[in-house]
Amino acid sequence: MYILDSKKTMKNKFQTMKTTKLLTLLLALFASIAITSCVEDDDYSVPNSLGSEENAGLEQILADINSGDLTEISIADLKALYQAYEDGQSGFDYDHFIQIPDNLVVKGYVTSSDATGNFYKEFYMQDAPENPTAALGVLLNQVDSYNQFNIGREVYIKLKDMYVGYNSNEVISVGGKTDDQEVGQFTANQIPTKIFRSEVTETIVPLQLSLSQISESNVGMFVTATDVQFPENLEGSTYGDPSEDFDTQRTLQACEGFGYSNFIVETSSFSNFYNTPLPTTNGGTISGVVLKSYGGDNLVMLLNDISDVEFNNSRCTPLDINDFNVVFEETFDSQGSWEVTNTVGTRDWYNTGFGGENYMRATAFSSGNIDTMVSWLISPSIDFDAQNSEQLLLEIADAYSNGQPLKAYYSNDYTTGTNPDDATWIEIGADEINALGVNTGFYDNNYEATGLIDLSMVTGNAVLAFVYDSNNGTISTTIDLSDVKILAE
Amino acid sequence: MKKSLIILLFGLFSSFALMAQNTMIKGSVKDATSLEPIPDVTITIEETQQSTLTDGLGEFTFSSNVPLGEQVLRISKPGYVTKRYPIIVNEGQIVNITDMTLEVDLASSEDLFTITLSDDELNDDTSGADNISGLLASSMDIFQRTAAFEFSSSFFRVRGLDSDNGSVLINGIEMNKVYNGRPQWSNWGGLNDVVRNQVLTSGLTPSEYNFGGVLGTTNIIARASSYRKGGRVTYSSSNRSYTNRVMASYASGLLDGGWSYAFMASRRWGNEGYQDATLYDANSFFATVEKKFNDKHSLNFTSIYAPNRRGKSSPNTQEVYDLKGIKYNEYWGYLDGDKKNSRIKETEEPILMLNHYWDINSRTSLNTNVAYQWGKLGNSRLDFPGGANPSPAYYQKLPSYFLADSDGPDYENAYIAEQEFINNGQIDWNRIIDANLTNNINGSYAAYALYEDRSDDSQVTVNTILNTELTDNIVLNASVNYKSLKSENFAEIIDLLGSNTGVLNVDSFDGFQFDMNNPDRVAFEGDKYRYNYNLYADIISGYAQGVFKYNKVDFYLAGSITKTDYYREGLYRNEANANNSYGKGGEVDFTGFGAKAGFTYKISGKHLIDVNGGYITRAPSLRNTYSNARANHDVVGVVNGVNVTGQEITEEKITSFDASYIFRSPIVNARLTGFYTKTEDANEISFYYADGIGGFFDDQGNVQTNNLVSEVLQGVDKRHLGAEFGIEAQVTPTIKLKGAASYGQYTYDNNPNLYISANDQAAFYGESNLKDYKVAGGPQKAYSVGFEYRDPDYWWFGATANFFDETYVDVSPLLRTSSFYTEPTDGLPMNDYNPEIARDLLKQEEFGSYMVVNLIGGKSWKINDYFVGFFASVGNILDKQYRTGGFEQGRNANYRELLEDNSNPKRRFGPKYWYGRGANYFLNVYFRF
Repeated sequence: MYILDSKKTMKNKFQTMKTTKLLTLLLALFASIAITSCVEDDDYSVPNSLGSEENAGLEQILADINSGDLTEISIADLKALYQAYEDGQSGFDYDHFIQIPDNLVVKGYVTSSDATGNFYKEFYMQDAPENPTAALGVLLNQVDSYNQFNIGREVYIKLKDMYVGYNSNEVISVGGKTDDQEVGQFTANQIPTKIFRSEVTETIVPLQLSLSQISESNVGMFVTATDVQFPENLEGSTYGDPSEDFDTQRTLQACEGFGYSNFIVETSSFSNFYNTPLPTTNGGTISGVVLKSYGGDNLVMLLNDISDVEFNNSRCTPLDINDFNVVFEETFDSQGSWEVTNTVGTRDWYNTGFGGENYMRATAFSSGNIDTMVSWLISPSIDFDAQNSEQLLLEIADAYSNGQPLKAYYSNDYTTGTNPDDATWIEIGADEINALGVNTGFYDNNYEATGLIDLSMVTGNAVLAFVYDSNNGTISTTIDLSDVKILAE
Repeated sequence: MKKSLIILLFGLFSSFALMAQNTMIKGSVKDATSLEPIPDVTITIEETQQSTLTDGLGEFTFSSNVPLGEQVLRISKPGYVTKRYPIIVNEGQIVNITDMTLEVDLASSEDLFTITLSDDELNDDTSGADNISGLLASSMDIFQRTAAFEFSSSFFRVRGLDSDNGSVLINGIEMNKVYNGRPQWSNWGGLNDVVRNQVLTSGLTPSEYNFGGVLGTTNIIARASSYRKGGRVTYSSSNRSYTNRVMASYASGLLDGGWSYAFMASRRWGNEGYQDATLYDANSFFATVEKKFNDKHSLNFTSIYAPNRRGKSSPNTQEVYDLKGIKYNEYWGYLDGDKKNSRIKETEEPILMLNHYWDINSRTSLNTNVAYQWGKLGNSRLDFPGGANPSPAYYQKLPSYFLADSDGPDYENAYIAEQEFINNGQIDWNRIIDANLTNNINGSYAAYALYEDRSDDSQVTVNTILNTELTDNIVLNASVNYKSLKSENFAEIIDLLGSNTGVLNVDSFDGFQFDMNNPDRVAFEGDKYRYNYNLYADIISGYAQGVFKYNKVDFYLAGSITKTDYYREGLYRNEANANNSYGKGGEVDFTGFGAKAGFTYKISGKHLIDVNGGYITRAPSLRNTYSNARANHDVVGVVNGVNVTGQEITEEKITSFDASYIFRSPIVNARLTGFYTKTEDANEISFYYADGIGGFFDDQGNVQTNNLVSEVLQGVDKRHLGAEFGIEAQVTPTIKLKGAASYGQYTYDNNPNLYISANDQAAFYGESNLKDYKVAGGPQKAYSVGFEYRDPDYWWFGATANFFDETYVDVSPLLRTSSFYTEPTDGLPMNDYNPEIARDLLKQEEFGSYMVVNLIGGKSWKINDYFVGFFASVGNILDKQYRTGGFEQGRNANYRELLEDNSNPKRRFGPKYWYGRGANYFLNVYFRF
């Protein structure tokens, strides 16, 4: 009995030892497996290879440019390619795009952002980060493209077999497809093979322009307009107008002379600042991309973000005519004491009128032809020492406009009846004249006032001259000068 | 047989010798190999169906209402071969059968269920197709076992009911989450060896622990003294949800000084389950220690820590499955060469509990428990406040989008999209990170961020459970419970994916501030954003139950009362709900009653009739109470803080009956049950992006026809009617045939009210015409036939063929309201509405019938006192492709849009489906000592 017992105990002991040992071993094994058996961890850090594929694509482009397999074309030249085609078309029913047959690549710097939803499936780029000379639209089937083609990013687009031409706003753009008679988007699948970024993101230095200086040539560019404001009657309005289905156009104004020069801020109903009230208590600078409204009728500005509206100054008010004395005024009921003389051709200024409004008219139009003409309309002598701060104000209507033939000058040494070419003339008011509206159609009798043309630097006796120059027979715009006024404080 | 005869004689002899007053049966059970006592063995007197469990010393006693004459004791425990002992009971005498032995069932398939269930949790909460097989796995009933093992992979639901109708307890403490009423299986996943001791009461039959729901109660006994002494090490390999599993467990058995302890650790892991990129990463730890102070008092401490991370997989449209196959998962993409899943579900909710067991006297015991559970539940996903939708299966990227072009099918782009989707078709992490790096350059906020929807609960539960035998025939059970929950809910940024600019805490969809108290705050990694609120719940409940046992009939009566209070505390002031989101919201309280009764009539030992009926009212879960808790305080029936008259939130009502005929013979066991359950006044809340709905306006008063909405379906009635049948026959000592069938019809039983809320607006659509639509969620008809062969030489195999039919798509209630045929703009009927076509469009899709064949086999060896074994199972060996569920997208919310979508060559917004697994395997080896 005793032996049996001890044997049993020993066996138990042995068993316990064995079990414990085995267990320890297994637990150790288990623990080591558990520790080493890693499952996908939480590491979402940026992989080293990120972007290498795209970089390789870009390097290939640069190498191909070097070797001549690929030709870099400037934005201006690319647009000219299309423009040349466009100029060769007549009527309206033709494709507003061309397909690029050659191995071309175009480079630009992004000016727009769709982060706020104001742009949709497009971006714009200009040919230089600063002082650009041309800009281009890029249509692409990608939302939130701002997080890839960010503002300032240097972008290369391979153009072979792609399209350049009008988008629906008649802004020259590139795309991978066609859409009816216009350029269509790069598809999501074309984007990675056609549009490449470099690692460079430049700071876009906006073109500083006054509202009246913004022109067709600025389309696609990032522009800052200085000293602007929203009209007071927009107080309480928002960037978007809820009654508009798509885009809302809000007037932007700058004080110029006795009135305002105007521009349009256009806002998409999908932008996130659609419901943001317009700042009407202040004025300041506004920066955005100059584009065209739907159909291409008007120039407009689209904001990338409302943080680009920096209205920190007080509002401007136009000059008040009551603060000024009229020291000289000519309403051209007749030619009066003004002199008309030609240095080129025989067509000249003449006095006429319509509907009770009289004016001096000049035009180089001659049915089917444009005459060469340079005709001078010269004022009588005016004493500029009798008062200070003289300002010139013109009222002009135009028609059949195809260019600006009008220039204004003054001279201290012109003698009436002599050849104007023998005197010294100083040009004045070019900006103000160019800022006038353009009427390509029939007479509209819309006599627009120019901004104030500064004459405060003129001293002594001087004459003013208004010169119609058909530019060797290329401009035939009709100019009706209805009012010439000199104001002084 | 010889041994049992000896025991029988011994038992008789000893009972003669003792000459006691009372008629009693007592005895003990030991492991046939180790001779250690086995706790928690179920001892049943077959004729009367009385049953009891053995204690830590393996001992048991029947002292009341013991039937006289020749009786059969059935001794069973999962993992052991069930034994039947014949005994003779004489009046006034004690039958004492000590040291009965149970042999380990070497061919046990006990491991299977925990694989199909607690590891899988087949779907996420989003599916609504929750799985209840875990409730049934420990059942001895053939039907319930079949439902657990064979039907669960088809999302079969017993009686068509959701798992919130069954309660899961650990040591008497309810583990169902207050949020949705469902047990969170992953909280004790991977601990198979220690959660195996389960006491199941199915259906309405009375449980000793609580009142329970209409699907019954499972109590997992996880106290140290309930474990057989010994240890076990297991390794498994599978392609189902994880690829590897190791488990080790050890239990001390009852030691000197009344101490016992047990512990377990396991790890389950894999980079990919059956679905692409469904990673699995789970560690589980368990420790328990118990001190038995004396015969009356015992104190147990149990702790469970089972952190679990797993990659989710997406439901997809049929177009996507056709292009990418049924393993396709849209949630992942390659990042630095690794498959990276954007949607990870992570649970980490440790449980601590203290249990006091007090045997006041031989007839009365009191069990008092305190438990504390806390931790986090997180679901990650990609936020894209400044980027395009990153989903590779976004509808605009699929061929169907181009085929539906308004200018006619765009075949070229459809083809390109198809090739792109086939060749790539996953999340483009590089683009996402590049977008953020690009935004860094210009100082723009992050275009993308990875964040986690978090629900961090801390919950205290206290309860006490009384069990007393009032007379020989009457047992009284009663309990009182108190549960207090604080649930912190918020979104937190996990990873900014390369961004150094952060995410603006503003709704990028409509520009509203998520938190007006801190406007334009920028959130970085680890910061909370989007929403932040706490939910509080206080639940007090009690129940009492009398169980009456007589020779021919047993019956019971039970009643319960539950008081539930909820309130919400907003930590953000949501701009869209500025006056209805911050601070403490109003309290909502519910009072639930339950009453149930039933009887078992014993025609003879072979034939039994069992009938149960009950009526329960209960508080809606938190999930179905708050209509949009992320944004505001509103509960169902309250819009923008204002009660909607006649639509106040109420308790859900459940009426349930079942009747069974049970047949038992030495060869055949069978059960046939008819059941009827009606649920009333339930709420269902869902969130989605709707397109083409009316009733919403933007700031300017314009109609907004698309919106992110929460849909509230209120006062839903459902009817669950059917029969279930199970039979098993031991036709030879080695061959067992099995069969099971469930034939149900689960339908909506009324036209509940529907309203939609978005921000501070709501649109009421009146009734949703759901009556007689089928309730989605697994097949309504399921059948199984199979066999098992068990060779005396310890190898075995089995096969089953399972047939499923009538699985239905989850219908969109919004499409069944007046919103469907009225103009979103003016609410008048559409001019082009055609009821005939509409009927066709709204017909509920049924997925058709299919068959799934499963095989299993294994072998075990006994080496000295050790056991080594393995088994392998192959699921769906014929690689049948079948849909387990699906839902209609709420996106095309009206007739015109739905018709337009259906007229396209391929639907863009067709239903999304889940598919079951194709052929899959599970391999298990273990070593046991």
